[in-house]
Amino acid sequence: MDVESSVPGAVSPFVNRIMAPGDVVLDLTKASNVLRLGSGLRQDGDNIAMTKVGRLQFKKPNKYWVEGSQKRYIPNTEDVVLGIVVDRRFEMFVVDIGGPTYASLPMLAFEGATRRNTPNLQVGAALYARVVKAHRDIDPELCCTDASGKAAGFGPLNGGYILECSTGLARVLLSKPTSPVLEALGKSLSFEIAVGMNGRVWVNAATTATTILVSNAILNSEFLTAAQQHIMVQKLLQKSQ
Amino acid sequence: MINDESDEEQQQYTSRTPGEVIGREVDFVAGKGTYSWHHKVVASVVGLQHIIPPSPDAADQRPTVEVRRQEEQGAVPEPGVVVTAKIRKVQPRMAVADVLCVGTRAVRENFRGIVRQQDVRSTEIDKVDMHTSFRSGDIIRAEVLSLGDARAYYLSTAKNELGVVSATSDAGVAMVPINWQEMQCPVTLQKEFRKVAKVC
Repeated sequence: MDVESSVPGAVSPFVNRIMAPGDVVLDLTKASNVLRLGSGLRQDGDNIAMTKVGRLQFKKPNKYWVEGSQKRYIPNTEDVVLGIVVDRRFEMFVVDIGGPTYASLPMLAFEGATRRNTPNLQVGAALYARVVKAHRDIDPELCCTDASGKAAGFGPLNGGYILECSTGLARVLLSKPTSPVLEALGKSLSFEIAVGMNGRVWVNAATTATTILVSNAILNSEFLTAAQQHIMVQKLLQKSQ
Repeated sequence: MINDESDEEQQQYTSRTPGEVIGREVDFVAGKGTYSWHHKVVASVVGLQHIIPPSPDAADQRPTVEVRRQEEQGAVPEPGVVVTAKIRKVQPRMAVADVLCVGTRAVRENFRGIVRQQDVRSTEIDKVDMHTSFRSGDIIRAEVLSLGDARAYYLSTAKNELGVVSATSDAGVAMVPINWQEMQCPVTLQKEFRKVAKVC
């Protein structure tokens, strides 16, 4: 299929198009430099093929990856995720991050934690963590500090409400510039949120009504354009007056 | 029963159980599966009795009696023996493997082995990352440390000649070892970490 590459510098003619698993998107014999493949792509001899449904992304000069939206989260390293503690084991917590298996979180992976001073997380506690180790053969491992050992916003989340959304919406909420729905909500309401790439959002506000409003607005916004999101938020705010 | 095999086969086989007296020590030499006790030859295993006539020029003209099991006993891992195993699961502190061969003999039944974090290598044993030492599906040579617990033998790869001998890359191709810590996929040229065995 002869499709002209619409993006300059990209070897693949399918950049920014939605493709399905198994589609061959790149012929390595036509590439002149070393390519870096992100998630969703796999090398099969001389071809690069998709392994997920999604839009093929390209960043100059040589990075390709797939962005798709699913309900099921597949852990990748360096993702920030929202987890719920399900068990305490010897020197680690077992955390549910919505993936194929539970993740492990070492008790020492918190800021200021020593063997004598370990965090006191109970079963059912919510926490914000990042994925340190993820591979298809092992259970993922989490960490509640950034690379230098500081908490940096990671750790247990108190109170609030957790809602589940698709991984695509979570990525939009985390992107810069701020997503339209969060911008619109932030102008009129005060609340805090934590978004996990695993399709979970934690919302905390002073009143239950605000929490519900923010949650509904976020869930409604997935398939709306920026302008529609602003209008939707205004309607919700008016209704709640 | 007519057999056209050697003389020793043309006899009716009596079955023997452990502790059963076969004959006097003056009449028989105690062979495999028997032992001598109080001047008698006694069976030590369950099996069929075989009487092997002595060679004509032997000084001792007593026939040898053996008790042979019905089938050959399969190989069983023993402490100190090098086994070949396939990694089934890699966990943060240990790897679970199925023993395939003991020495050069394939096993007949399922034996589980565990390689603990401290038994992967001999240096820096508390900094071992199981995921960069083994992956599911790798074939390893390991030494049996002990009979372990009810579930599995304890295995060790803490020697140069022990470790991963065969592994496939993420692309599904058999990898080539580069050094004791890395193997490379010949198709994608990606390097993966393993605890590689030094096979000369």
